[in-house]
Amino acid sequence: MLFLGTAPAWAVLGEYESSVSLDQQVLRGEIRAEVRQGYKLHQITSPNGTIVREYVSPDGKVFGISWQAPFMPNLQQLLGSYSTEVQQAVQSRARRNRGPLIVRTDKLVLVSGGHMRFFRGRAYVPSLLPNNISAEVVQ
Amino acid sequence: MTLRNASTATLGRFLAVVTGLIFLVGCGSSSGGGGSTPTPVANTVAVEVNSGPTSLSVNMAFADVTICMPGTTNCQTISNVELDTGSSGLRVLSSAVNLTLPTITDSSTNVLQECFQFADASYTWGPVAVADIQLAGETASSVPLQLINAPNTGFAVPSSCLSLGNGVSLNTVAALGGNGILGIGNFPQDCGGNCTSASAQLPSQYFLCPSGVCQVPAVPLADQVWNPVVLFAQDNNGVLLSLPSIPAGGQATVSGTLTFGIGTQTNNALGSAQVYATDAFGNIQTTYPTTNGVSYPGFLDTGSTGFYFLDATTLGPTGIIECSDAPGWYCPSSPVSFTVTNTGTNGTSGPLTFSIGNADTLFGTLANTAFNDLGGDSGTGISTDYADFGMPFFYGKNVFVGILGTTAPSGVSAPFGYYAY
Repeated sequence: MLFLGTAPAWAVLGEYESSVSLDQQVLRGEIRAEVRQGYKLHQITSPNGTIVREYVSPDGKVFGISWQAPFMPNLQQLLGSYSTEVQQAVQSRARRNRGPLIVRTDKLVLVSGGHMRFFRGRAYVPSLLPNNISAEVVQ
Repeated sequence: MTLRNASTATLGRFLAVVTGLIFLVGCGSSSGGGGSTPTPVANTVAVEVNSGPTSLSVNMAFADVTICMPGTTNCQTISNVELDTGSSGLRVLSSAVNLTLPTITDSSTNVLQECFQFADASYTWGPVAVADIQLAGETASSVPLQLINAPNTGFAVPSSCLSLGNGVSLNTVAALGGNGILGIGNFPQDCGGNCTSASAQLPSQYFLCPSGVCQVPAVPLADQVWNPVVLFAQDNNGVLLSLPSIPAGGQATVSGTLTFGIGTQTNNALGSAQVYATDAFGNIQTTYPTTNGVSYPGFLDTGSTGFYFLDATTLGPTGIIECSDAPGWYCPSSPVSFTVTNTGTNGTSGPLTFSIGNADTLFGTLANTAFNDLGGDSGTGISTDYADFGMPFFYGKNVFVGILGTTAPSGVSAPFGYYAY
C-alpha cells in the first residue's frame, strides 16, 4: 500500500537536477539520461505506460517537463512553486471552455490536455531556457 | 457470456487474494447472448443541447438517466446529465440523488472512493455506489457509478486528487454544468487494467480511507466505474449519436437522439459510415497536410466544447489567430475551412472538412448554445497538439462509438473499439 501522506516530494520545475531521482522513485520507473546539444534530458518510463521527460539546463536546473500518461499527473508536485501560477489561471478561466488547460504567463507556459486514459502536456519556464535552446525541445 | 459475467468471475479471485473489496449487491446481470435473438427493446433516448441547469452552458448535450436501487423498481430519473464520449461511466452529483444507493466496500466497510480527473486538471470526487441504470428500454444491472461530492466523514480529499488545489473541482452543479456526466466512450471501465493493481495507479484514482488515511487499493475491473452501455442485456456494443445540422453562427437549442447498439436493430445500422478503429489510448490519427503534414492523435469527444485543433501559431498561415480577450479560443477575421485526413488503426482513411469561426462573434449571440464552428488551441506546439473533435463535429452527423472488447463490424479489426461516421 502506498500511504500518500508519506510520499516523497517530486522533482519540480525550476529546481535542481538531483531531484529527478525522486520522480523516478515515485513513478517506479526506469530512467534514461541523454545529453543533448545544450541541455540534458531525463526520461522516466513506468510500467503503466507513463512517460515523464525532464529537461535540465547546463547550470543544473529543470527548465521543462513533459508527460504522456494513462493518469493525470500530480501537477502540484511536478510544478512545485509554479503551480500557483496555474491555480491563478484556472480561477480566471472561462467555464465555457471545456478543453485543454493552457496557461501562458511571463513565468510559465503550460498545457494539459487529452482525455480519459490519455493525458499529455508540458510545462516550461521561459526564463530558465538555456541560451539558444527553443521551447520546442520540451516535448 | 457478457463482459460483466466474465469480470464477475474475476472479482471472486481478487476478493479473496488481493483487496478484500466486496461488491455489496449481487451481480444479477442478465445475458442477451447465447445465440438466441433477444426481443428488441426501445433503444433511443432524447438528447438536447441547451444552456443546462446553470443557463450558461454551450455545446453540452444533455439526456435524462434513470437510476434504481439494484434489483428493485425504486427508481429516480436524473435530468440534465451531460453525454461524454471522452470518458466512461456514470457520475452523478450526490445532491441530485434521492435514493440511498449501496456502495462498494472492503470487508471492514470502508467505502471505495474515486478521484476522477479530466485532462484540464478538473476532477470529480466521491464514492463508488451501485445502481441499476435505465436508458429507454435498456437496463444495466448493478452498475458501479460515482456519487460526486457525497458527504464523507473522517478523511480529507487525498492530495493527489487535488492536482491544482480545490479550485478545479467539478463537485457542484455550477462547476459541472449539469447534474452528472454519462461517459459513453469506447472503454468499458474508466480505469481498466492499471487500477487492478495498487502500484500501477500513478497518481492514484481509487482509494480506501480507513482511520482517516486514504490508501490505494487494487480494484478489480468489476468494481470500477462502468460504461453502463456495455452492461445492457442487448444493444451493448456501442452507441449512435444523431444530431441535426445547424447553421454557422449557431442555434438556440438542438434536439437529437442517442441510440444504443450498433447494427443490432433496424435503427442503428452503420449504413455508409466509415469505421475508424482506435488505438489502445482511444485515439485515431489526424493529419493536416496544409501546414506541416504531421500526424496528430485525434478523438471524438462530446465532452469538449469546441474543435481543439493544433495551435494558433501552427495555424497562423491559415488566418487563425487567438481571441485577444479569451486566449485559447480562435478568432479568425472570417471563418477558416480545414480539411484533414483521419486514419484508423484498421487502415481506414478519409477526409474530414470543418470550419472554425470567430469565437467572440459566436459567443456574442447570447441566445445560442450550439455552435458548429467554435475552435481553439489543443496545445502549445507540435509535441502537445492534437485534434479534439468536440461537440461542433457532431452536428449533422450520425456518429457511432464502438466499445473495446465488443465484436467489431464485419471485416474490421478494432480490438480497442472504434469510431464510425
